Amino acid sequence: MKNPPFNYHRPATLTEALDLLAAHGDDAKVLAGGQSLLPVMALRLGRPDHVVDIAAIDELKHIATASGALSLGAMVRHAQAETSPMVAEHAPVVAAALPHVGHRAIRNRGTVVGSIAHADAAAEMPAVCLTLGATLHLASATGTREIAAADFFLGFFTTAALPEELVTSVTFPPWSATSGGAVVEISRRHGDYAMCGLACAIDVADGVIESAALSFFGVASTPIRVAEAEAIVVGQRPSPALFAQAAEVVADVLSPDSDIHATANHRRQIAAVLTRRGLAQSADQIGIPV
Amino acid sequence: MTPGYETGPTSDRQTSGLGFVGQRVKRVEDERFLIGKGNFVADLTPDGVHHAAFLRSPFAHARILSIDVTAAAALPGVTRVFTAAELNALTNPIPPFFMADGVYTPLYSCMSEDKVRHMGDPVALVLAESRYVAEDALELIEVDYEDLQPTATIDQGLDTSREQLWELADGNVLADTSFEFGDVDKTFADADRIITRTFECPRQTNQPMETRGCIVLVDPDSGHLELHNTSQAPHFLKWAIAALLVNDGAVRNLSTFLRNKERRKAFSSASKEFLKTNIDKLKSSDPAGQKAQLSKDKSMLRHQARMAMGLLAAEDYPTVKAGDIGGAFGSKGSVAREDIAVAAAAKATGLSVKWIEDRVENLLDGGQAREERFTVSMAVDEDGTFRGLKVDAVLDQGAYPAFPISGVATLLFWKVYMPGPYDFGAFQLNGKIVATNKGKVVPYRGPWANETFMRERMIDVVAAELGMDPGELRAKNVLREETMPAALLTGPTLDETMSVAKTLDHALSLIDNDQLARDKAAARERGHRLGLGIASYHEAAPGPPNFFESIQPGSDMFLYEDGRAEIQADGRIVMYTSQSPHGQSHQTTYKQVAADEFGVSMDDVEIVWGDTDRTQFSFLGTGGSRGGPLGAGVMRVTARELRRQVAAVAADMIEASPDDIEIVDGNIHVAGVPSRGIGYRAVAAKVARETGIADGPVFAESMKYEGVGNGGWSTATHVAWVDIDLETGMVEIPRYLVVEDCGPIINPGIVDGQVRGGVAQGIGAVFYERHHYDDDANLQSGTYMDYLIPTSMEIPDIEIEHLETLTAGENDARGVGEGGMIGAPAALTNAVSDALGVQVLEQYLPPHRLLELAGVIER
Repeated sequence: MKNPPFNYHRPATLTEALDLLAAHGDDAKVLAGGQSLLPVMALRLGRPDHVVDIAAIDELKHIATASGALSLGAMVRHAQAETSPMVAEHAPVVAAALPHVGHRAIRNRGTVVGSIAHADAAAEMPAVCLTLGATLHLASATGTREIAAADFFLGFFTTAALPEELVTSVTFPPWSATSGGAVVEISRRHGDYAMCGLACAIDVADGVIESAALSFFGVASTPIRVAEAEAIVVGQRPSPALFAQAAEVVADVLSPDSDIHATANHRRQIAAVLTRRGLAQSADQIGIPV
Repeated sequence: MTPGYETGPTSDRQTSGLGFVGQRVKRVEDERFLIGKGNFVADLTPDGVHHAAFLRSPFAHARILSIDVTAAAALPGVTRVFTAAELNALTNPIPPFFMADGVYTPLYSCMSEDKVRHMGDPVALVLAESRYVAEDALELIEVDYEDLQPTATIDQGLDTSREQLWELADGNVLADTSFEFGDVDKTFADADRIITRTFECPRQTNQPMETRGCIVLVDPDSGHLELHNTSQAPHFLKWAIAALLVNDGAVRNLSTFLRNKERRKAFSSASKEFLKTNIDKLKSSDPAGQKAQLSKDKSMLRHQARMAMGLLAAEDYPTVKAGDIGGAFGSKGSVAREDIAVAAAAKATGLSVKWIEDRVENLLDGGQAREERFTVSMAVDEDGTFRGLKVDAVLDQGAYPAFPISGVATLLFWKVYMPGPYDFGAFQLNGKIVATNKGKVVPYRGPWANETFMRERMIDVVAAELGMDPGELRAKNVLREETMPAALLTGPTLDETMSVAKTLDHALSLIDNDQLARDKAAARERGHRLGLGIASYHEAAPGPPNFFESIQPGSDMFLYEDGRAEIQADGRIVMYTSQSPHGQSHQTTYKQVAADEFGVSMDDVEIVWGDTDRTQFSFLGTGGSRGGPLGAGVMRVTARELRRQVAAVAADMIEASPDDIEIVDGNIHVAGVPSRGIGYRAVAAKVARETGIADGPVFAESMKYEGVGNGGWSTATHVAWVDIDLETGMVEIPRYLVVEDCGPIINPGIVDGQVRGGVAQGIGAVFYERHHYDDDANLQSGTYMDYLIPTSMEIPDIEIEHLETLTAGENDARGVGEGGMIGAPAALTNAVSDALGVQVLEQYLPPHRLLELAGVIER
């Protein structure tokens, strides 16, 4: 359980980091909080020749808002975001997700963007991005680009980012007073990856649900939105019966795998329960008790 | 109840007349553990030490066709690469230790050279300048494997058509034994009903916080080895290393032996002495077991003879030192194959070597346990009277029998324990051991514990069949002091310490049935189900003198404990224990006991353990819940004898009669006249002057302690309340009650900690921990992401009631280390059965399984 040899780089600026990624491409891995990369290397499941540690780059440490949209730099650690009033105000669903991320010691080092870029399908942050319609900001030595969360997650630990690109920040769109959201999950133990989890959000106008997003994690190779269930609730007034109907559709649509922690049937069952619980919590947040 | 360590003396000064025993004294170990000043094996990195790493099989069952270490040996930083064949040539095969009729225990070597039998089986060893380089080198070793059919489950193990793990065995069934007590056929024929169920217990793994580890230092002049090891049993390790490393070939051994007159003489007088003192035991020991073993493997005698010859030279024994150990739960009592390999490599190269097992290795083969199946038949009368018990049990031992305590020992314990504290007229056990391509099974906290699970679960099944209350059914059949027979059906003597009935009655009195009914209704309202489960058991801790005779004749080395006490020339009081503490707080407990005997503060007493040059031989070290009854017992009697010697000298010095002497806070004086007293240091200094001893003991006493009276039983009844969310399968334990009786308590905080820790592991066994292998024997739970140990978040408050039954003996403390783990799985699964209204037939109940049992989801 000791990592193989590698070359360690600790650039002081973003430009330097991007040059390193350009030079080493596939042979390089970005190190932020190290909560996923380092165990993978210790188990020798991954063996990058070059590790580019971005911890010293000040340009990546911001928590900021612009026209109501919240932006988190690549070096913002989970614990910083968790305790940030700005995050709580502008992205309450992000704030709701953070206590579920591992344990405190993991959140002290792990980063929000790192979790997104790692794209573990059982993790909270990718699903939150999907539900909120977040935008990922990527940079390389040759330029920058933006990718919508919906286009970013391609498969197990696979994203649209190229080897020479760094995800520099994530932006969450403005949150309104008519929005409600929740992150609910069931894990074997406190702090474990969820057997199934849900990041959901709804917008309500005149008592009617105008839009809904239900993104499940731990049930597919990427976080997955269930449009069929979203369609059921849009245009309707929140009610237990409506949410139960959505839950049934969720259980029908998802086809999760079985593993040693939960069977496919169990995951479907949990997904349905979480649909009801998550939607009820979301409605409750905008003053509609269900 | 107050949680441990919050109350009690914060100073270690004795308050006259009160003493430390019985008080919730703070653990003296905690400070060094909590601030990182412990003395663990991994903390020690001697100059110039070479780091070892093992190449381990990625396959469950395969033949090794070839191995090429050239590239690995050429890697810069690599000192030496050993193949399995090279190390095996330097060592003896590991012999069977427990033998019983119908049991075959395969011989095996420290490394696997011809074939591998489980994922993680060691096939090569690298020594390098760092563990990093050693692991780099492992990747350069080329091994050509040929797949063999793996055996992954008990059913596959019983299937005679599968590929054998061991050539000399019949299929993969290594043991097929039968034991009968009373007239089973007649009892079953006469009973009103016979109820039968099959219970499955999946695999777990002992998971101490610290993994195994070994540092072997080689004296450059003498070649003497010094092992720093995480061993629970350092003396046994010392013996084993001596026995297994001396392998100069039979002829050379024999000729050395014959040429050496001293050794010949020593051997002959030792043999005569042994025969004289052990003739009765030898007569009663089990030659059928030896015969059965020999009929399978005639090479056993050759290996044993070779080992016996090797044993005769004092210089063959290494020194073993065990410092602080971060837990074991039984897994570090076995001699690791890695320990032997590392010692052989150090001896062969003359280099000091360090091996620290990592967690991946530990999960692969650090010690696994409890994968067992029981088909239980209970003969009962309609009124609930228990008549007879029949059990067909199968134990999945994994690939290699642990040394020295293999699965056979569990069968033998089952033979004695299975009927439990109940009045059965007849009992039969048919026990089998199967070999499978999985990590080895070792003793795990209450190694026989599943007998309690299967019996107590079965009692609830019977209660349901008869329409009786499970608590009342137990109360009706439990052995009570007033009607207790002289001995259990299976042999061991009974006395008032077998107080299960008292724990049961008290536990039942603490259950409010009306409240339970209300709580069940309220749970139902919320879409939950609530249930209550009870389990009772007894444990020989240390048990009556004939307990081990009942297990296996000739095993009375488990009965006693040695100890030594000294007062040094400078006045220090030093106690030597043969125990090897690894979390049980021996240091605190023994200081309490010795300080009270001497009339000094705990600070004045030093406890020495773990160093085989300084402590006396013990086969077991720490294990079998003996540290309280026997370990503390020998501290007490040794201290008492030494105090008598000191008091005699002191009395002379202050011109008083020894009978009038009292010692308080280290002041030796005539009772009532403390002002005219004298201190230990002064007495020690006087003797030192007179005898001319400047450095070393001026008073010393060694004693052997066999416990008091009937040795005693430890008993308990557990009651669990379990709440299950029928939507998700998630479980809460709103209340957990333990009523236990381990006799008078030395330190309530430590006893509570033992009970809570054991219950936590029982909760783990039922709701979280399963060591998963797939049908091809590939390990699925190879990291802590997949082997789930409950954390403090998952463990509820545990109420503990102590009964403290006294006997006439003076150190009447009885063992409590294992009990929590023994009772909890049965109480919890009984509670689940009650909650869901189904009879649970398996021990491991993850959320999805609970929902399947509840009919919420399909399997």
